[in-house]
Amino acid sequence: MTGMVKTSKEKEQLNLLLEEAALSGREAAGRYPGRRFFGYFCSYWPEELVLAAGLEPLRMLPASSRGAPAALPVYCCSLAKDTLSLAAEGKFNNLAGVGFAHTCDTMQCLGGIWGETAGQAVTLVLVPPVRLDAPGALAYFKAELAALLQRLAGLTGHQPGGEDLHRALALCEHIRRLAARLDEMRSLLPSPLVAALLRAGQVMPRADFARALETALPALQEQAADPGDKRRVLVSGAVLENDDLFRSIEELGGRVVADDTCTGYRHFTGSYAGGKDDPLAAIARRYIAMPPCPCRHRGLDARPDHLEKLARARQAHGVILVTRKYCEPHAWDAVPLSQRLRGAGLHVLVLELEGAEIGGQERTRLQAFLESF
Amino acid sequence: MAENRKYLPLASTRRLEKLMTRYYFLTRYHRFWGKPLRRPLAWVTSGAPVELLRAFRIHPVYPENYGAICGTRRVSAQLCQVAEAAGYSQDLCSYARSHIGSILRPELAPMGGLPKPDLLVACNNICGTVLKWYEALARIFRVPLLVLDTPFLPGELTESAKSYVLEQLKHMADFLAHFTGRRLDRRELERHMALSKETVNLWKEIRGFCRAKPSPLNAPDLFIHMAPIVVLRGTPQAVHYYRLLRNEVNSRVQQGQGAVPGEKIRLVWDNIAIWYRIFGFFQMFSERGACFVTDTYSGGWVMELTEGDPLESLAATYTEIFLNRSPEFRARQMIELIKDYNADGFVMHSNRSCKPYSLVQEVIRRRVMQETGVPGLVVEADMADQRVFAEEPVRNRVQAFLETLSDI
Ligand code: SF4
Ligand code: SF4
Repeated sequence: MTGMVKTSKEKEQLNLLLEEAALSGREAAGRYPGRRFFGYFCSYWPEELVLAAGLEPLRMLPASSRGAPAALPVYCCSLAKDTLSLAAEGKFNNLAGVGFAHTCDTMQCLGGIWGETAGQAVTLVLVPPVRLDAPGALAYFKAELAALLQRLAGLTGHQPGGEDLHRALALCEHIRRLAARLDEMRSLLPSPLVAALLRAGQVMPRADFARALETALPALQEQAADPGDKRRVLVSGAVLENDDLFRSIEELGGRVVADDTCTGYRHFTGSYAGGKDDPLAAIARRYIAMPPCPCRHRGLDARPDHLEKLARARQAHGVILVTRKYCEPHAWDAVPLSQRLRGAGLHVLVLELEGAEIGGQERTRLQAFLESF
Repeated sequence: MAENRKYLPLASTRRLEKLMTRYYFLTRYHRFWGKPLRRPLAWVTSGAPVELLRAFRIHPVYPENYGAICGTRRVSAQLCQVAEAAGYSQDLCSYARSHIGSILRPELAPMGGLPKPDLLVACNNICGTVLKWYEALARIFRVPLLVLDTPFLPGELTESAKSYVLEQLKHMADFLAHFTGRRLDRRELERHMALSKETVNLWKEIRGFCRAKPSPLNAPDLFIHMAPIVVLRGTPQAVHYYRLLRNEVNSRVQQGQGAVPGEKIRLVWDNIAIWYRIFGFFQMFSERGACFVTDTYSGGWVMELTEGDPLESLAATYTEIFLNRSPEFRARQMIELIKDYNADGFVMHSNRSCKPYSLVQEVIRRRVMQETGVPGLVVEADMADQRVFAEEPVRNRVQAFLETLSDI
């Protein structure tokens, strides 16, 4: 994969990113002594505020098949169950705290029981507006962000000033631009490679990530190659904690040319529309304008429109809608999305997974799907 | 409904049946009177601020209540299968699946399904599911969808959350004025709110009677008699009905009559009823002298409508409802119920369909047991979809639980 890399520096940085992606943040404290990490679950958690408060945001990802924690029933998604099991094993003990952005009913519940069941003293909850276009949504969102910033500042004892916020916004914007460059190359690069690099950007210190990706980009450009007759697909879904799906697609003759997963490019979309003069408003506006996830509401068409447009722009012929077993929001959306995208002449597969791993049955379905167009 | 009740039936039940039959009759024939009277029909979620809709003379219809009817009539499984065949996952709320099934195959549904809506109103104070459910309905019927976003409350209601909800309510009122061609009559709104308040107070009073030993009511009574507070809240009919029920329950207390003959064990119920076993399930308890003296579900409608500006009051009331609150709040509520009603134990229905209600139950159970010292049992089922109900294991668990309690 790295055979054509130009210089050792580039190679080194690319390897670093892949290593971080493979570790998924699990050894962050040991690898980056002196930094304090703050865990979060959802892309609606504002990394900017964590950074401004002097902490490093770390996306909390499950490790597959950890079994069922006693606190949650079987009919709960494995993202919640497996992360809670990891926490019970003490895997998140080094974190300065954990943040929950209110999304679905499951996350709402997990946020409510986390402190007690995971033994994490600091559990912060942010409740963004669900109805993104509601009157008063921006003002409410800003007030929530301001309150959160105070609570984060309380953790570090450092009261972030305007300068801290501006620096954090600038770093996140820079990262998003780099991620966009990578995303634009994805039809020319192996799918699991791009997926891993984007995940690295959620589980390692952000400035280090920016530096590494910037250094590695020329090497990636060099590695870029025409996908030939690979089947071009768009993948949409929530969290994918590893690259198994992307690897399987690639092995079965597909190429992920567009990605709308929470741990993939969705995490990096959007920009500070309306300027950065008022940092909290800028953060809120980006979230409000971003392609919504199924847990938010901005009319009926925002999500189908976005996916159809994305599929066209990237000349995808098929769409894989990944849903996690017991995940309601994505299961709901799978119905109108399939209808709409099929209506637009695309091949659609709704793939329900227990976690992120692809088992024999799923592989067969994927294969049949990819061979159908 | 053929199962035997082992507890005392209420005379008010006949009036209740009449009231509900009339409501569903009017609903069913809305097409004949709605248009001429300029009274649109809205499908609304149980936690929506219905008083505002009533002020605009909108006729509200409750798919969740309809879901419960499908459950009681044991047609949910079949209707759910219809929805599943149309792509809706089996893991979605069974009220939603039953309802969508009834739209796709009305001939299989009670009353031939609900009449088509002119408007959809969803408030996410009970769950995130209703948002997705109503989005699906809006796609099917292509009618306006009003979403009232009541932010989840990890702690207390903040000023900014309240202003946000208030702002939306004002816009909702403007939309409804435009939609119905009527102006918002604040006196009318206040009148419906006063009626709601009276209904809520009566319901609270009725429930309060169950502190008596023996308790005049058992959980199935509460579940059955909660229907008007859901679908007729804010109307004089609901007030009349609950006055009647209050008097009957009161006289039971005066006469020392218990719902369960020879009441020995007092329990608290958590979560939605198991509708398709509404009598059979509770019979396992009543035949051993165990009575459910109160519950968190039908108790959810005991919400205080605060004084002051009506829209502000609606904003606070509907954001603060218990399903929109933290597990700490809910554990505290349960602990208070146990103490207040002198309960010996509690039973939690781990309801596959309702994640916001159920996923935190184990943590609440532990805390409640720790603080009150009374045992709590978890029973896995589903409120409407009887396919997931496993009779034998449930029976065994209930038996073992009641045996421990009898030993105490
Ligand atoms: S996978 Fe689905 S149910 Fe689970 S946390 Fe994410 S959105 Fe919620
Ligand atoms: S049963 Fe639960 S998930 Fe279903 S509509 Fe009611 S509150 Fe929502």
